[in-house]
Amino acid sequence: MRLSTILAALLTTVSIWSAQAETRPFGRGSWEKLRAAHAGQATVIHFWGLTCGPCLVELPEWGKLKAARPDLHLVLVAADPLPQDPERLEATLARAGLAGSESWSFTDRFYERLRYEIDPSWAGELPRTVMIDPAGRSTVLPGVADLVQIRAWLDAQPKSPSSYAN
Amino acid sequence: MHRLAIIPAVLVLLGGVAVAQHHHGKVAPAPEPFTASPAFAADGTLWLVRPKAGRILVTKSNDLGRSFSTPVVVTPERMNLDWGPDARARIAVDPKGGLIVTFAIFQDSNFNGRAFFARSHDNGATFTRPRPITPEATSQRFETAAIDPGGRVFAAWIDKRHAAKAHAARLAYPGAALAFAWENGDGGFGDTSIALDNTCECCRLGVAFQGSGRPAIAFRNIFPGSVRDHAVLTFRDPGTPGPLRRVSTDDWRIDACPHHGPTIAIAADGSQHVAWFTDGAVRKGLFYARADNADTAFEAPRALSPPERQPSRPYLLEAHGALHLAWKEFDGDKVVVRWQKSADAGRSWSAARTVAETSDASDHPMLVADGTRTYLSWLTEAEGYRLIPLEDRP
Repeated sequence: MRLSTILAALLTTVSIWSAQAETRPFGRGSWEKLRAAHAGQATVIHFWGLTCGPCLVELPEWGKLKAARPDLHLVLVAADPLPQDPERLEATLARAGLAGSESWSFTDRFYERLRYEIDPSWAGELPRTVMIDPAGRSTVLPGVADLVQIRAWLDAQPKSPSSYAN
Repeated sequence: MHRLAIIPAVLVLLGGVAVAQHHHGKVAPAPEPFTASPAFAADGTLWLVRPKAGRILVTKSNDLGRSFSTPVVVTPERMNLDWGPDARARIAVDPKGGLIVTFAIFQDSNFNGRAFFARSHDNGATFTRPRPITPEATSQRFETAAIDPGGRVFAAWIDKRHAAKAHAARLAYPGAALAFAWENGDGGFGDTSIALDNTCECCRLGVAFQGSGRPAIAFRNIFPGSVRDHAVLTFRDPGTPGPLRRVSTDDWRIDACPHHGPTIAIAADGSQHVAWFTDGAVRKGLFYARADNADTAFEAPRALSPPERQPSRPYLLEAHGALHLAWKEFDGDKVVVRWQKSADAGRSWSAARTVAETSDASDHPMLVADGTRTYLSWLTEAEGYRLIPLEDRP
């Protein structure tokens, strides 16, 4: 009887967890996987952090942009210099209107290597936005992004039917 | 029978949850600081302070870091220690052999800190209960205590009291303030003074002494237009910070936290030496500059390493008549600590040499000197703590 109560509680917990958009661990090799998964697709990768005040101020603007632009393929990467609690990351994204977005989080404290894989000259400052066009060309926007620039970049991307798929 | 069937189901579920946690990186507890800060006592004892599981521990070595004593706990209770990448618990030894340990905690989830100190007057056997460095509680971080040549303890930190007042009055206030206090006998620190408003709120400070009662603080300032470049304040006397001297115009315009503060050393001839990181419009990477004295301008910056090697965390130390400069960089595979030395007050430097490396996470490299030698002090995930002599003889 008590065991079945525990079992029921466990099942509920598990189903709540699986219903959430999961933040994926970003470790060594993740950058390559992320790039490969979005190859050929105009993608905006926004690096942010719970430990970055300006990032938290900026995040809701990304939520609004995402709502306004279905052609925006947005990937969020929490690049805090120390791994953060994924539940806090997810709660923060949800508050910013970004609950359904693809989300990753640095989980390796050897962040020199993670940053090196992404961009050897990136010293870790946040926020940072990388726009990658279908040909794989990157444009880096260090600091708080000018969303006018993001919109213009989106407008300039080829409109294939697949860009509206998600 | 019924029960027996349920137990394995629960175990499978628990196992499944554990796997899911691992797979999704759900490792919930607060990040833990990964630092080890050294100080040598006059008798050659190496003191080391390390945070561990929410506590601050002090240990000592009488054989240059080969073995360490059982750690003494400075913080009776677990605390929410500041784990910011530029934060660090520190230890200093006064001329009487007394120890002072400083560290900060987070008061809330908005990174408001509280800086504490604890003293030991029995050669590290016990420490006083940690007390706040300042009674004002808004926020203090990046506290740095240092002993001046006269033996007095000076502390500087980043303080948000003025920022909080400004925000309450709906006034703009970029960054935080540079605060300081001097230890006042056994009663703790005396009155807090604000040396300067609108400094960067998330970067460590560098502290060295121009002489007794004359600290020099290197810090990331906020210049007009959100430019986060470096400056030095040299005190005229214990209570009077001198004018701000800009170290370099890098023009790093950023409304964000670089988490990357500078380092300062002062040579015997009074020349000042600063190393720092920038990602400015004018220059990017790690740089060094010198000034002939506390009143002259800093000379042209010298780059320490190409920016694509991620040069970071510089550390300068004056010891035995020489200047030592160390930093870390990433070679695509390993993090290496580079070191160079100047015997002529920073006018010329030896070629940079790799003195240590690691293939996993690492603390900032630090330099420390005993009566005869200078050492690299470095905590790395893979190798643990190491004290590495920088040369056979000075």
